[in-house]
Amino acid sequence: MADMIKGNVAIAEAAVRAGVQFYAGYPITPSTEIMEYLSGRLPELGRSFVQAESEVSGINMVMGAAACGFRALTASSGPGISLKQEGISCISDEELACVVINVVRYGNGLGTLYSSQCDYFRETRGGGNGDYRCIVLTPESIQEAVDLMAPAFELAEKYRIVTVFMTEGALGQMMEPCVLPDFIEPERHSWALNGKYTYKKIGIFDRNSMTEAVALNEKHALIKENEQRWESGHVEDADYVFVAYGLPGRSVKGAVKELRKEGHKVGFIRPITTWPFPENGFKEVNQNVKGFITVEASATGQLVDDVALTAKRVFRERNVPAWSLCCVYGVPSLKFTKDGFARIMNNELKEAY
Amino acid sequence: MREILYAGFGGQGVLTSGLVMSQVAVFKGQKATWMPSYGSAMRGGTANCTVKYGNDTIYNPGQEEPDLLLAMNGPSYQAFAGMVKLGGIIVINSDIISGELDVREDITLHRVACSTLANEIDQPRGANIIMAAAVIKLLNDFSLEDGIHGMNDMFEKKGKQKFEAGNTKSFECGYNAV
Repeated sequence: MADMIKGNVAIAEAAVRAGVQFYAGYPITPSTEIMEYLSGRLPELGRSFVQAESEVSGINMVMGAAACGFRALTASSGPGISLKQEGISCISDEELACVVINVVRYGNGLGTLYSSQCDYFRETRGGGNGDYRCIVLTPESIQEAVDLMAPAFELAEKYRIVTVFMTEGALGQMMEPCVLPDFIEPERHSWALNGKYTYKKIGIFDRNSMTEAVALNEKHALIKENEQRWESGHVEDADYVFVAYGLPGRSVKGAVKELRKEGHKVGFIRPITTWPFPENGFKEVNQNVKGFITVEASATGQLVDDVALTAKRVFRERNVPAWSLCCVYGVPSLKFTKDGFARIMNNELKEAY
Repeated sequence: MREILYAGFGGQGVLTSGLVMSQVAVFKGQKATWMPSYGSAMRGGTANCTVKYGNDTIYNPGQEEPDLLLAMNGPSYQAFAGMVKLGGIIVINSDIISGELDVREDITLHRVACSTLANEIDQPRGANIIMAAAVIKLLNDFSLEDGIHGMNDMFEKKGKQKFEAGNTKSFECGYNAV
């Protein structure tokens, strides 16, 4: 029997079991329990934990550990992740592998402490300066989160890319039972720095950005081809398909179940990777679908952009409208989604695209 | 599926009351979620948590429409009484919430003087366990034994088994108070 466990604690233990050798970070609500837990747990196992003096130094320590070929992790929330962007961009540029957890909280600037999905654009578009993307995982439950932790590192290492593990304040703070994964002991990477100056030093003026661009696009294309993950239901005959991820995605599944019982032909796609966006999930949708509806915890609607772009690619012959139901913060209730659907059916809500 | 809202001042133990409920449900093989208020609420003022449990998938762990509200103080009653499901239950801490209350006609109200009871049984810190037990009794999904076993299992795993006798006493007291 699994016991109740807090999301942040379960995720931290899952990271330990995935073989994290190094954590560095700076506390911030609602992510703090991750580092609080690791501050005791990692030294207990003879691994390294550093409470850095800032987010900036934390991510740069992670870069160092990653360069040495170890599984390295940092975690933060909204504004803390903003501070890490320079480091994340550098790690991406160096094609190092690491995992960055963002326990998203709502707002611009310092924002609030409310659970949210407002960092969608930042995480799915790379976040820092430059021309890179991160693989973005968005679990709906504590169980899915712990099950995705080892894959988060495996993906990061397979493609030598940063994996952003994007949860929400509510998922970090809530409790539910989960079965923790087994321990794995990853090997240190063969390409790691070894202190013997094995690798040629490439200075900023020695780079060939044209060649690098080709390689970058090839890598992104490969990730898009191979790594899309999603869950879907009732899409084959659906008139309307909801798209939502994380806790809103989980809540929407309940709303779809109730709407189906009430006779509405609705389905859902729940992206588990939000980059690469699960375009293949849209290819399974009823060819005569009348529209897509996102349900998201932001003010402005961000996921809806990817849904509209994907609909454009998948349904080339016609324009399939996309609506956005934004609850701003928190987890949308089943009623929120059902009421929003009713408004769309009554032509009370204009489509976003 | 059941939904319960536990609300009060920080320090009254409402988050633990809710956790006991959720762990008892899990102990009996059901699904459960526990969703706290956090952040600013933790830094003084009110605290609350929503617990859901049942045999079916819990899609939304957040607050929707509680079957039962446990209000440990006046502000919690004022803030949340209106959200309780039609025909629902409200349990109040009558040591703190006294006098005339504006109660909806469809609601069944239970007054439990949990701090007084806790002192009577010589468990001054047991008021939240008394209330946890009262809630479990009123919802009638789990027996007294299930409740005690689930609770003790939870505290034992937290390394707090030395409080088992006291917690059991508080639980029995609360279960019999409603």
